[in-house]
Amino acid sequence: MNKEYRIQRYGHIRQGRISLNGIPRFESNETDFSIFIKSAYKNFDTQYPKFFKMDSLSKLALIASDVLLENENEKNIALALSNRAASLDTDRRHQKTIQDIENPFASPAVFVYTLPNICLGEISIRHRLFSENSFFIFDRFNADSLFEYANSLLANQKSEKVICGWMEFDQGKYDAFLYVVAKNGIFAHSIEEINRLYLTP
Amino acid sequence: MGVISAIGNNVRENYGALVAGRTGISRITHIDTVHKNDIMVGEIPTDNAKLEEQLGLPRDSWSRTALLGAIAAQEAVHQAGISDINDARTGLISGTTVGGMDKSEQYFYDYFENDRAWHHINGLHAGDSTRKIASKLGLEESFATTISTACSSAANAIMLGARMIKSGQLDRVVVGGTDSLSKFTINGFKTLMILSDTYNTPFDDKRKGLNLGEAAAYLVLESPALVEKENRTVLGYIKGFGNANDAFHQTASSDNGDGAVLAMEKALKIAGLTPDKVDYINAHGTATPNNDLSEGRAMLRIFDKKVPEFSSTKAYTGHTLAVAGAIEAIYSVLALQNNVVYPNLNFKNPMQEFELLPQTELVRKELNVVLSNSFGFGGNCTTLLFSKEV
Repeated sequence: MNKEYRIQRYGHIRQGRISLNGIPRFESNETDFSIFIKSAYKNFDTQYPKFFKMDSLSKLALIASDVLLENENEKNIALALSNRAASLDTDRRHQKTIQDIENPFASPAVFVYTLPNICLGEISIRHRLFSENSFFIFDRFNADSLFEYANSLLANQKSEKVICGWMEFDQGKYDAFLYVVAKNGIFAHSIEEINRLYLTP
Repeated sequence: MGVISAIGNNVRENYGALVAGRTGISRITHIDTVHKNDIMVGEIPTDNAKLEEQLGLPRDSWSRTALLGAIAAQEAVHQAGISDINDARTGLISGTTVGGMDKSEQYFYDYFENDRAWHHINGLHAGDSTRKIASKLGLEESFATTISTACSSAANAIMLGARMIKSGQLDRVVVGGTDSLSKFTINGFKTLMILSDTYNTPFDDKRKGLNLGEAAAYLVLESPALVEKENRTVLGYIKGFGNANDAFHQTASSDNGDGAVLAMEKALKIAGLTPDKVDYINAHGTATPNNDLSEGRAMLRIFDKKVPEFSSTKAYTGHTLAVAGAIEAIYSVLALQNNVVYPNLNFKNPMQEFELLPQTELVRKELNVVLSNSFGFGGNCTTLLFSKEV
């Protein structure tokens, strides 16, 4: 891969703090994720009622992508996200509904979110992205794979930009990290730099 | 190539059923579900005990998802004639939607009572089956990952594998997917009201929905250099691939199949082929009212009303979810090798919305390029193109 790509910007949602390029955009002492993310939604004046039907992973992804894509005009943006827990948090909810002896009925509203890539669909619908998207399951944050995948997408002209990152939600714990890879940008696109940005919210 | 599905325990048996027009759809026997009289499924007759015996594993150690995956992956590696899997940089990319959920629902209440089934808790997540398959294949320090993009998972695994070989990161990669049936999946699809109570009928005007199926299917991809070095017989080539998001709804396709159109366009562009070069389409064709209408319209848009012969093989296997892209990749390669178009079983009534007739009889004709579609929840649409020649 001869071409050098750059990271344009990055965002985090971690421990009650939402930041863009390391600058806080919203902070809260709230420890309950659902209350925290709702207050973030209100704070950003998001106005997207579908948000309230989403599971936690998609809510996290939606707010994270909104902050990241605030001033973005490009529409040819591919998505390559990853996490460790897949959609287990919602899977467990679905599992409990179907094992409830009194009332063993699954809920369509829960079941539709029992796949990790649904959050990619929600981002795509929100930002009208008809681009390539994949969701990978890794043991831990894996900058190497995201780096190669983004390079390959851009080198093969599959998209103008790529949003990469980590979108983890499980049992109330959350960790969102997104970054935009493009031809130009202020940060280097290298494995070291991706790891550094991941660790510096 | 290796496959285990409702229509056979290996590639040979699957092909035999395809050309004989023999469906694998039946009532469910392995899972005691309240819906057993309301649904039909593509169930693999072999039970877990037999699969464990075949793999030399202790009873109740792995989820069915991992068992099926290991059986199919072993067949693929064996058939490829690989003697030492670590003699080249070999990866494993496997798709799954359900992971070890079959065991979770079996032992859900036991987890609170005793530690007897504790090992199945760690077997729940999507990456577990991939790790177990990798160890069964003897892979050491390899690139192994799991893709979970619903019903396009295995198609995306194939696409990623092809890319990693193209970019020189791997010499060889085992790609595919595995999913077993579970109450989790059955109840979920039941609430979406897209399960048929009888045999599924792709592209039929009176289609009532899909039959869920279970399967595992893997293909071995090798770089041109390795093929030359090992003097391999090449079964087929991955000529093109494309993925796009439909950006419409979590579990439904857009009315005009926008995502499907984009995926097919991208695959054709990468292959450098015009639509008229496609000889056969192995359609996604799940037999849900929504998919077949959306996919049909997308095909009409791409092929400008001159749609080549097409059929869906879901009436044989059921919808095998994460595996669909790999099982149908194998069927596409078998179609190329044998110059045969499989019949779209159970078709009777043309759809009212357009004039599209799937192939209903077995046709033998020279095939050079086959297009295979796989569309998943989340709007994830993937198209793969397979060819006989480079």
